Amino acid sequence: MTVVACLKWLTPHDADDRFGGISPADSSALEWALRLGAARNEQVLAVAVGPAAADTALRDALACGAHRAIRVDSADELSSNDVAAAIAGAIDGLDVSFVCCGDYSLDRGTGSVPAFLAAQIGARQALGLIEIVLGNEVIALRRLDGGRRERLRVDAPAVLSVEGATATLRRASLSGALAARTAPIDVLAGPVGSHLPTARRPYRPRARVLPPPQGETLDRVRSLLSGGTATKSHGVPVELEPEEAADRIIAALDEWGYS
Amino acid sequence: MDFDAIVVGAGPAGSCAALELARAGKSVLLIERGPFPGSKNMYGGVVYPRILDELVPQWWEEAPIQRWVTRRSTMIMTPTQALTIDFRSQNWAAPPYNGATAYRPDFDHWLAGKATDAGAQLLCSTVVTGVLRDAAGAVIGVRTDRPDGDLTAKVVIACDGVNSFIAKEVGLYGKVDAANYTLGVKETLALPKEVIDERFGVRGREGVDFEVVGCTEGVNGGGFLYTNLDTVSLGVVLKLPRLAAQKKRPEEIIASFKKHPAIAPLIEGADLKEYSAHVIPEAGYKMLPKLVGPGLLVAGDAAALCLAAGIWLEGMNFAMASGMYAGRAAAQAVTRGNTGPDGLKPYLEMLNSSFVLKDHRKLQHIPHLVLSDRVQNQYPAFVANIVERMFRVDNPAPKPGLRRIVREERKRAGIRWRDLLSDGWTGMKGFS
Repeated sequence: MTVVACLKWLTPHDADDRFGGISPADSSALEWALRLGAARNEQVLAVAVGPAAADTALRDALACGAHRAIRVDSADELSSNDVAAAIAGAIDGLDVSFVCCGDYSLDRGTGSVPAFLAAQIGARQALGLIEIVLGNEVIALRRLDGGRRERLRVDAPAVLSVEGATATLRRASLSGALAARTAPIDVLAGPVGSHLPTARRPYRPRARVLPPPQGETLDRVRSLLSGGTATKSHGVPVELEPEEAADRIIAALDEWGYS
Repeated sequence: MDFDAIVVGAGPAGSCAALELARAGKSVLLIERGPFPGSKNMYGGVVYPRILDELVPQWWEEAPIQRWVTRRSTMIMTPTQALTIDFRSQNWAAPPYNGATAYRPDFDHWLAGKATDAGAQLLCSTVVTGVLRDAAGAVIGVRTDRPDGDLTAKVVIACDGVNSFIAKEVGLYGKVDAANYTLGVKETLALPKEVIDERFGVRGREGVDFEVVGCTEGVNGGGFLYTNLDTVSLGVVLKLPRLAAQKKRPEEIIASFKKHPAIAPLIEGADLKEYSAHVIPEAGYKMLPKLVGPGLLVAGDAAALCLAAGIWLEGMNFAMASGMYAGRAAAQAVTRGNTGPDGLKPYLEMLNSSFVLKDHRKLQHIPHLVLSDRVQNQYPAFVANIVERMFRVDNPAPKPGLRRIVREERKRAGIRWRDLLSDGWTGMKGFS
C-alpha cells in the first residue's frame, strides 16, 4: 500500500522560484506521511500539482525519505476540484491507505482540496487535524468551532489534512539530499485553465456595516464590545424544503459577507 | 573519497573555484548554507568582474547587472560641508565595462549556475560545521549539520566568508584582532528609476558610485551610496573597536548620514526595502591568514582578501580571482595525486604573481592610513575649510593667499606638520 503526501508549491507574487516553497501545513503533512509510511511499512509517494519549479518541493520530499514523486504539470491557477481531480488521477490504480495534506495553502487558503480529493477517490476524510496518534489505529484530534475538539478513529483509506504546527518536518540526511538532486520525478500532463479569479488572497468575509447599537445603556455597551453579536438573536429554527433551505443559507451567507 | 574536491560556500570565490574544478574534469561538490547561492550575502558595493573575462567570455551579456558604474564620486564631508571629486567616463558605459552594481542573490545565483552547468554539484541549505582530518592532521573532508553528514574529499576549499570557521579550526588564522574588521551596514532604498536617473545625472543602465569620508560621527570608517536600477544602496562601514567604544548604534550613524544636506535630496521620498549588516575584513595584507593548509585552500573573504584602500574598495574581484586560482591549483594537485601542502603550493604562486597579492602587498599601509584618526576626524574639516575659504568672498577684506589659508586651517584642525608630511608620504608611497 501507499501513503500519499500532497504538496503545493507556492511562489510569492513579486518574487521568482528561488523564494518559493511549501506551506508549514504541507511540511507537517509530509512528515505525517513519512511517519505513517514507517509505522505501516508502506511506500510514501509525494504528489504536487504545479509548474516545474514544484520539483524542488518534491526533491526535498525525496531527500526526507519519500520513495517516489509525481508532479502533475500545470502552470495555471486551478480550482480546488481540478487540483483534487489531478491528484486523484495521479494516484489512480495505486492501493492508497492514507493521503496527507496541509489543512490549507497560504495563497488561496480555502482548505477544500482535501475534501474534494476524499470525494473523488471515495475515501474517508478527517480534516483540520491538530494531532495524530499512530498506534494500532490512527487516532486524530480535530479542531471544531468554539474551542471544542473531536477525536476520531480513522481507518484507511482516508484523507487527512493537518495544521502546520502538528509536526516538524525531519532534516533530510546528507546522502538523501545528494541522491534527491538527480532522483527521477514522474511528470504527468495536467489540466489547463480554470475559472478562478486572478486576485490571490486568503479568503475572508467582507467587512459589513453594523447599525448603531440600540436599547438600554448596558445593552449598547455590550453590543459595541461584542461587535454587534451579543445582542443579536442566534438563529430562527425553520423547516424548509431542501432547495428553499439552500437558498436561505446562501442568502444568509450573503448577508454575513461571505459571498 | 566521495569527491575530488569540496568547496564550502557558493559565493563568488566558491563558485569560481567549483567552476575551475568542474572544467578540469574533477568531481566537485559546492556546499551552500542558504537555500540558494547569494541568499545569505549582504552586499552594497561595486563589482569589478574583469577577472571573469578568463572564466566566462562576454560575461556582461548575461550577468545579472543592475547598472554599469560610469560616475565615481569621492566625497569629503563634515556636518555642514561636502567636497566632492566627481569623475564620469562614458568609456565605462560600453563593453568591456569597468564596474557594476548588482544584487548578490542574482549575481551569485548566476555564477553558481555556471559552475553547475560545468558539472559541479550544488548542495544548498547545508551548513558545514567542521572539517574531517586524518591521523596526520590533514583535512580529508567536511562534517555538515545533516544526519549522516560527513563527506570526504581530496581537497577542501574554504570559501565560507569572513569569520571562516574552517580556516580558524585548522589554525590558519592567528589571534583574531577586532581592529582588523569593520561592520558594514546598509539600507536598500527604493526610488523610481527615472527619479534615480534624474537625481544622479545618469541614463539607461548607467550608475553612480559615491564613496564618502567624514560622515560617520567620529567612528572611524566611511560611507557609500550606489545606484541600482530602482533602488539605491546606502550605508556606512564602521571600525569595530571604535564603534564599541563610542557606544553608538550603526543605524543612528546611517540616519545621520541620510540627513546630511549633500545626501538627503538624493534619497528624498525613498522607501526602505532592506536593512542588513555584515562584518568586513579591512586590514588588508597585514591580516591575511595562511592560505594553504594540508588538504585545504582558503579563498575570498575567508582569506581576508578584501581591499579597502581609499579610492579602491574591492572584494568580489579578489574573491573571484582567488577562488579561480584555488580551483585551478586544487585540480592540478588532484591530477598529480599530491594534495599536501607542497602539492597545493602553486595556489600561493598564482596569487603572488597576480593582482590578488600584488595589490595587497603594494597597498598594505593604505587601509591603516584611511582608517586612522587623522584621516577620519581631522583632515575632512581641514580640507573642507580650506576650500570654503577659497570660495568665500570676504569683501571688503582682500582675498587671503592659499598658503595662509592652509597654515591657519592646519593650526585650527590641530594637525602637526610632521603628521601631515608623514601621512602624505605614506599615501604617496602606497599609491605610487
